[in-house]
Amino acid sequence: MLARTAERVYWLGRFLERTENTARLILVRHHAILDLPREVQPSWDLLLHVLGAEQGFAALRGVANEKNIISYVFGERENPSSIISSLTAARENMRTTREIMPSETWERINSLYLSVARRSQKDLPRGVRHAVLNSIVQSCQQITGMLAGTMNQDAAYQFIRLGRNLERADMSTRIIDAASAGLMGKAEDVSPYRNVLWISVLQSLSAYQMYRLNVQRNVSPEDVLEFLFQSTVFPRSIGHCLQELKHSMHLLPDHKPALKVMERVQARLAATDCNGLSGDALHEFIDELQVELEAVHDAIVSTWIAQGERR
Amino acid sequence: MVQAKIKSPQPYARSKPRSGFDWSQYRPGEFYDEIVTRSGKARPATRSLVEFIRKQSIKHLVSRQQAADLAIQEMGVSFTVYSEGQNIDRAWPMDIIPRIIPLQEWRMLEQGLVQRLTALNMFIDDIYNKQQILKDKVVPQEIIDSSPEFLKQCVGAKPRYGVWSHICGSDLVRDSDGTVYVLEDNLRVPSGVSYMLENRAISKRVLPQLFDRNSIQPVADYPSQLFDMLASLSPRAVKHPEIVVMTPGVFNSAYFEHAYLAQRMGAELVEGADLVVGSDDKVYMKTIRGLSQVDVVYRRINDDYLDPEVFRPESTLGTPGLFRAWRKGNVGLANAPGAGVADDKVIYTFVPAIIKYYLDQDPIIPNVPSFLCVNSKHRKHVLENLASMVVKPANESGGYGMLVGPASTRKERALFAELIKKNPRNYMAQPALKLSTAPTLCGNNVEPRHLDLRPFILQGKSHYVTPGGLTRVALRKGSLVVNSSQGGGSKDTWIVDTEAR
Repeated sequence: MLARTAERVYWLGRFLERTENTARLILVRHHAILDLPREVQPSWDLLLHVLGAEQGFAALRGVANEKNIISYVFGERENPSSIISSLTAARENMRTTREIMPSETWERINSLYLSVARRSQKDLPRGVRHAVLNSIVQSCQQITGMLAGTMNQDAAYQFIRLGRNLERADMSTRIIDAASAGLMGKAEDVSPYRNVLWISVLQSLSAYQMYRLNVQRNVSPEDVLEFLFQSTVFPRSIGHCLQELKHSMHLLPDHKPALKVMERVQARLAATDCNGLSGDALHEFIDELQVELEAVHDAIVSTWIAQGERR
Repeated sequence: MVQAKIKSPQPYARSKPRSGFDWSQYRPGEFYDEIVTRSGKARPATRSLVEFIRKQSIKHLVSRQQAADLAIQEMGVSFTVYSEGQNIDRAWPMDIIPRIIPLQEWRMLEQGLVQRLTALNMFIDDIYNKQQILKDKVVPQEIIDSSPEFLKQCVGAKPRYGVWSHICGSDLVRDSDGTVYVLEDNLRVPSGVSYMLENRAISKRVLPQLFDRNSIQPVADYPSQLFDMLASLSPRAVKHPEIVVMTPGVFNSAYFEHAYLAQRMGAELVEGADLVVGSDDKVYMKTIRGLSQVDVVYRRINDDYLDPEVFRPESTLGTPGLFRAWRKGNVGLANAPGAGVADDKVIYTFVPAIIKYYLDQDPIIPNVPSFLCVNSKHRKHVLENLASMVVKPANESGGYGMLVGPASTRKERALFAELIKKNPRNYMAQPALKLSTAPTLCGNNVEPRHLDLRPFILQGKSHYVTPGGLTRVALRKGSLVVNSSQGGGSKDTWIVDTEAR
C-alpha cells in the first residue's frame, strides 16, 4: 500500500468521524437548550469553544446568537471545523483514493456531500434542525457500516480505523471539557439541572443508554467521567478508542514504534482516578490527554506515512 | 369543415396510448443520421429504439434524462475543466438516447482499427531503429527531423513485441454519404474509456427495458483486457507483476479516469513522487512497508513530464530516472515514450502509405483527404479555401487551437492564414466533413446533433478492440466540436447484432 494512500484514508477516517461528531454535538446542544429553563441555559458559545472556532467566528460573524453560530458550525466553508468543511475534506480524501474504495461508499459520501452542500446555503432553523443533523449522523454511520461490510479488511481499512478512533477520542475529550465548564448562572439555580447536563453529555456521545446498561446507577459526574474515559466496552469512550487504535496498529506491518507510544498513553489513562477529577484538575487532565493523542498521531505518521520517504 | 374538425371533441383520443415523439418532426437534412434513414424510417439495427422513442412521451424521456443526470452526479462521474480561472469538477454530460452501430459494420471497422495500429506500431519501431521507411522514401526524412514528438533519446530502444503504443484511441467520423473515416489517431495517452464504461452503467440503470429487446455487445471487459495486456509487459517473470497507474494528480482533467481504471484493475494509483528509481535502475514505490518494486507503469502523464532527468528538468510530476529504468528493460511503460511521433497530424496523411508499406494491404478504413501546409501546392489550396476547411495544428489535442472554417469569422481566418504562413510544418487541413448526426434530447425536444466515435484499441502480445467506444456529441445546434472540454456531451454506444434474436 502506498504511503500517500495510507495518509489519505487515515484522514478520510478522521474527517468522516469529525463530520458525524459535529452534527451530534449541535444536535445535543439543541436538545439541551430545549430542556432547560432560560436562566440556566448553556450558551451557544460553548459549541464554538468545543470546536476551537471562537476566533474565526468573531472575525467573520460578530454577533454570537443561535442563528449565526449554527450556520457557522454547519455550513460555513471558511470555518475549517464546520460540518461542510469536514465533509468536503472527507469526500476529497475518498475521491482521491477511489481506486481502493468500494464504489458504493463513494457514491454514498458524494450524495451526502451534495445534499449538505445544498442545505448549507440556507439557515438551519429549529424546525428542520433535528431532521437534517440526524440524517447526517445516520449517513456517516451508514458509510462506516458499508466500509466494515464491503471493504477488504486490509491495511487501508486499518488506516481508516486509526483515523476514526483517534478522532473519536479527541472529540470525546472536547465534549467532556466543554460540559465540565458547566451551566451558566448561580450555583443554587444550577444544581437541580446538573443531571440534565451530564445526561446531555452522555447523549452527545450516544452514551446515555449504554451508560445506564453498564453502570446501573443514577447519573453522577464521577461515574460518567469514569465511563467516558475508561470504559473498555463502550465504543465512544476514550479507553475503548485507544484499545481499537492498538488493535489496528497490531494488524499493520512494522508497528513497534507506534505501539510503544500507544501503550504509554493507555497506561497513563488507566492510572487516572476519576474521583478526584473536577473543575480545573479535570480541565488540566484533558489538556494533557489531548497532547498524548497528538503524540499518537505523530507516531502513526512517522511509523507508516513518512516511511517511504525515509528508506 | 376543417374548423369543425378541430373543434369537435374527441372523447376517446385521450385514452389511446400516450402520444410520443413524432419522428416526422425530426430532420437531419443533408447529414447522414445514425438512427433513421433519409426518409425518416428506422435502420435495421435501430428499430426497437425508434419504436421506443415513438411511444414515450417527451416528459418520460426528460424524466429518464434527469434520472441519468442524478446518477452521474451521485456516482461522481466527472471531468475537470481548466479554462475557467480555476479547476472545476464538472458532471459528465451524457445523453440518454444511445447511438447504435450494426455488428456487421462494426466487424469491418474493428479489423480496420487493428490493421491501422499494427502498422503504426511497426512504423514507430522502425523510426527509432532502422528507419527503413525513410530510406525507402515512403515517408520524407524531413518530416521526422522536424517532428517535436520524435524523441532522440528513444533511438535504439526495443520495447517488447515491438509495440510502442499499447493503448490507442482513434477518432472515427461518418460523412454524409455514410463512409466512415479515421479522423485522427491518439497514440500517446488517449482518454475517455472510463466514460464509455460509465455511460453503459448509467443507461442500464435508466433504460433497462431497451436492453431486453436488443442483442448488445457488452463493454465491461475492458479493464481486465487492459490488465492482461499490461501484465504481459512485465520484465520480471513473476506470477503477479506489480502494475501501477501513474497520474499527474488530482487536478488533471482525466483524474477521474485514472482512479477509475486503477480501481477496476486493482492496481495502485501513483503520482510521480510516489515512485523512486534506485541505483540499480529499478523502479520502486513508497509503501507503508518501505520500497517495493514496480514492474509495469501505465502512465497517464505526457512524455515531457515523465522524467525530469531526460525531459523537462523543472517537471515535478514525473519520476527522475524512470526513462533510464525503461531503457534498461527494468520496467514496462505503456505507452512507450516517443510513440507520439506517429500521431502527429502530418504523419497522419501518410498512414495509408504506412499500412501499404508494412502490411502490403490497402487501408480498410480510409483517411480523411488531407492537405499538408508544408507542401506549397497544398498550402495554396488551404489558404484559398479556409472557409470550407478544418485547420489543425500538428501536435495539439483536445480540440485546442484549431480553426473550423464554416463556423469561423473573417478575423479568425486571417489569423490562421498568418499562422500557417509563419509555420507551415505545424499545420494540416481537411475539408470540413458533414459529420453524421443522431437524435439527442435537447430541452423538450429530440433533435439531430453531430457526433464522432472514439474506439479504444489495445496491442501487446495480441489485440483487443472495445465493442463500440465513446460517442461524443456536439450539444450545440449545428456545432461540429465534440470535445468535452469544449462543451460536448456523450452517448452510450451500442453494437447491435441484428441477426441474433
